[in-house]
Amino acid sequence: MINESLFIIVVAQAVTAAVPLVLAGVGELTAQRAGILNVGIEGLLLTGCIGGFVAATISGNGMIGVGVAMLAAMALASLFAWATVMMRADQMVTGMAINLLAVGGSGTAWMLAQAHGYAHMPVEAGFTRGIVPWISPETQQWLSSWPIIGPIIFDQYGLTIVVGLFTLAVWWLLRRTRAGIIIQAIGENPDSCAMVGIHVRQWRCGLIMVAGACAGLAGAYLSLMRTHGFSPLMSGGMGFIILALVIFARWQVGGLIAVCLGFGLVDATQSLLQGSGMNQVVPYQLFQALPFIVAFSALLIFRRGQHGPATLGQVWPSTIK
Amino acid sequence: MLSLSAISKRFGSVSAVVDVSLTCAAGQVHGLLGENGAGKSTLMNILFGLVTPDAGSIALAGKSVRVFSPHQAQRLGIAMVHQHFALVPILSVVDNIILALDDKLGFADRAKWSQRLRQRAASLHWDINPQAVVGTLAIGQQQRVEILKALLGLDQASNMGAVAKILILDEPTAVLTEQEVDELLPAIRRLASDGVAVLYISHKLDEVARVCDVVTVLRRGRVVHHGTANTPPAQLAALMIGAAIEKPQRTASPAPDSAMSPVIIKNLCLCATNGRVELDDINLNIRAGEIVAIAGVEGNGQSALVEVLLGQRVPTSGSVHGVGSPTQLGYIPDDRHRDALVLSLSLRDNLVLKQYRSLPFSWHGWLSLRQWTVAAKRLISAYDVRALNVFVPVVTLSGGNQQKAVIARELSSQPSIIIAVNPTRGLDIAAATSVLKRLIAARDAGAAVLLIHHDLDEIMSITDRLLVMHEGQLTDTNWPASNRAQISQLMLGHVAGAAT
Repeated sequence: MINESLFIIVVAQAVTAAVPLVLAGVGELTAQRAGILNVGIEGLLLTGCIGGFVAATISGNGMIGVGVAMLAAMALASLFAWATVMMRADQMVTGMAINLLAVGGSGTAWMLAQAHGYAHMPVEAGFTRGIVPWISPETQQWLSSWPIIGPIIFDQYGLTIVVGLFTLAVWWLLRRTRAGIIIQAIGENPDSCAMVGIHVRQWRCGLIMVAGACAGLAGAYLSLMRTHGFSPLMSGGMGFIILALVIFARWQVGGLIAVCLGFGLVDATQSLLQGSGMNQVVPYQLFQALPFIVAFSALLIFRRGQHGPATLGQVWPSTIK
Repeated sequence: MLSLSAISKRFGSVSAVVDVSLTCAAGQVHGLLGENGAGKSTLMNILFGLVTPDAGSIALAGKSVRVFSPHQAQRLGIAMVHQHFALVPILSVVDNIILALDDKLGFADRAKWSQRLRQRAASLHWDINPQAVVGTLAIGQQQRVEILKALLGLDQASNMGAVAKILILDEPTAVLTEQEVDELLPAIRRLASDGVAVLYISHKLDEVARVCDVVTVLRRGRVVHHGTANTPPAQLAALMIGAAIEKPQRTASPAPDSAMSPVIIKNLCLCATNGRVELDDINLNIRAGEIVAIAGVEGNGQSALVEVLLGQRVPTSGSVHGVGSPTQLGYIPDDRHRDALVLSLSLRDNLVLKQYRSLPFSWHGWLSLRQWTVAAKRLISAYDVRALNVFVPVVTLSGGNQQKAVIARELSSQPSIIIAVNPTRGLDIAAATSVLKRLIAARDAGAAVLLIHHDLDEIMSITDRLLVMHEGQLTDTNWPASNRAQISQLMLGHVAGAAT
């Protein structure tokens, strides 16, 4: 029953599911390495969803949607940066406030969009599968027909390759550059960084903004690529899953890709099982819960071991002089 | 090379540094002596740009400079190794160097910096592994990394035209073992002969005599003495404190009550989970009204014994009687941050932490905060804890004052049993002496005192009985019938050298 093509289909679906996780996750991971725990990532994703949807619907241009999604999420992230880094507010509380703000804001925007007749996205504004928009359909078809890597890499949304290259760049940055050393040092010992003339606050604010842009883009992926529309709360807890995956990946970029793909695989398997007729016997909600159950169990099993960055989630400087 | 003139700094109503002038020449090790709170660290923080002075000026090679940040100090050719290292433990040695000294954000040239690091280490006859992760290194090794980082910073500054080469070492031996100290001091001399001006902050007289050329003594923020390093230690000590110190005089305990042994330990054994024997058949009675001291090289089972006495670990066999209710026990732990203080709470709250549930500090669950304040004020004046007021978080106090606060809380409730582990660690001479006197006073009041201490001189100055712990075994030295050499032999495990 299980044959090679079925396997490839599942893997390709896993990649499709993993792309937003990796993208928003790598932003969150980098910020966490510098000591910033942004639990508002769920809200940033949702902001990306609605921002991208509304802008693409009104303008009829998907790329404008993507740009607005990133800007909207960065605007919300700048609020988080201002409160936590400049005003020394508690990161956890501020992050939760960001989430609530995004729920209310996106709901309001969605109702306004419906009231003004922008509830449905024009077909040309949504993205279709294909590595880049301007490539000819023949070339695309030829690439996608390659065995194995065709469906897994080329028959995806264009963002997939961008995310892959971006992640690779972040991995290199953290391992091989002084900027990467600084990011890790800021998360471990910001006081001594300040002593050698590193501007801790600027770095942290910058990383929060980059993480915001990543989350916004991941949100646009959900509303402009995987689906062509918006529904309230459509990020559906993905931000919280990402927070868990970052811990699960032990704050390593390579680990993050692995756990995101693993999560995507379970997700793809569950939709396959749902379609296989087993939903006659087992309620479909149970299938939908499967990836979360697996992720949760994995967290419990592998919870021990390496700790996160030493000052993760802490206010800096700890005392005002 | 460096001259400070008429530097003054006040914090609130406290004068930390008053009208201090000193000069430091290239190739010289300049000792800066003083008690805790004498202003040594403030003065160096001013020089390093961490604190802005209220008055006075700094000149490097005759040119007046203003230092407003550590980063700028480094570019002027001033480097500092702090008591608490500024290294990032998860990063490798070379990454820590790159973090502090490189100025580009891009590709980190680890090969180049490792090479420079090895060269600089070799000039001091040190061996260093640039790839090692700092957190896995011993404290002495980490300090070497700090010193090398400072030296490379100085090299870099002088390549860019800085005229000065000044290295400030803030109590560099405070965290080192004796052997590490013996390795560090020659390296400091070697640095001086390379033309670096070294400022050596300490309150340890013997080290200053060993390594410094000249000394300046500070007391209460003022320079009280300046001279060569061969000033007799007794005179320096008197200058630091302002009066000759009255050493605690060992007095025989009045009459240890043989019938009353608050602590009885019988055939106590403890094995670690990996099977290693930590405590081996310990028998010990501590009677009311006597001090029993346990000497020994650290890590021979002393901490295991304390943990069993406190009930933190269950003995494998044998029994412990006596240490029951915490109100009857005064415990001065080795690690005050972990085991004695709640750092974020106020000094007042820490002082009443053990008694807050009883009268008069609370009444049927209602806290009488005014009583807390009254009691705390009484304690800080009785035990000479120096703080702005009793409401400041205890984390803002200096280490010596934190220790005095712990001692105030633990001894003021007149416990019948006292367990003190390294009670004078981090204290200056005057404060250490007063702690030892407090222990004698507690004994005279009828307490059973167990003293586990690293300083043999201090032990011998107050104890009634002296036992030595080695590899989990306890041996009586028949003190005071034994001498220092015999005790040292026992500490190293030579049973043959035991007193007869």
